[in-house]
Amino acid sequence: MPTALLIVHGLVAVALLGAITHQVLATWAPVHNRFGSVFSRFRAVPAASFANAVILLYAVSACLGGLVYLYFRVDIRPGLEQAGQWSALGLFDLKEHFVAIGAALLPAYWISWQRPLSDERPRTSAALTLILAFVVWWSFLIGHVVNNIRGFGL
Amino acid sequence: MTSSPLFCRFASAYGTSFAVFYVVALKFDLALFTVYPSLGVVLLGTHHPTDAADPAVGFVAPAMYWYGWVATAALAALMTGLIAVALPARWAKGGVWPVIVWVAPVAAMIACVCLTLPWFRL
Repeated sequence: MPTALLIVHGLVAVALLGAITHQVLATWAPVHNRFGSVFSRFRAVPAASFANAVILLYAVSACLGGLVYLYFRVDIRPGLEQAGQWSALGLFDLKEHFVAIGAALLPAYWISWQRPLSDERPRTSAALTLILAFVVWWSFLIGHVVNNIRGFGL
Repeated sequence: MTSSPLFCRFASAYGTSFAVFYVVALKFDLALFTVYPSLGVVLLGTHHPTDAADPAVGFVAPAMYWYGWVATAALAALMTGLIAVALPARWAKGGVWPVIVWVAPVAAMIACVCLTLPWFRL
């Protein structure tokens, strides 16, 4: 059961990573030429259209992570503590904190992409998207480091 | 509801205050409840196994506070959001709110890094 949950959590995280990366690049480095390089086309997507998908994927990924975390605390973390992997545990704790703060931003993020009315809105939505992208990338990378910590030779 | 100014005000206040209250809950260890996953027990409030039993209990029945910290911050942020909705509209207008809604979470994340630094000195 924990392995299945972890795999689904990882797959949802990959989808979320793709969506938020598309959106953050389309917001911060937009291009309007859809016929350029692969990187140009990657940035030429309509950023607002990703907002609902990002919210859904973030919520599902956070819920799955919250479930997997129970197994991690009982089965994995004591072993890491005994092995003295304090830095890895510290990085993982930061992942928990960032994910919680990011989850609470989702309503404001959603509103900011729904109502691009005033001059302030585009800046707010761009900033919130960047924060969420950082949280998602951090969580993805740290999750994989901790998951594969033996493979890293740590 | 989606385009309601009230929901907009609630969402901004909720996200901002959650970040602040989460750091407070983390700093002062204010978990609304404590989870003991190996025992399948949830206790109201913050409970440290070492408070009432041998420190070794912490290895046999590890306690989890993260869910409790999130619940504490979510409850406090919910109340702040409702207060923000109840405030007169003219108080909610102004140039600083769209900035605070993303500055507060960034500041909270930096505070979390500072509070986690001891892990890296072990």
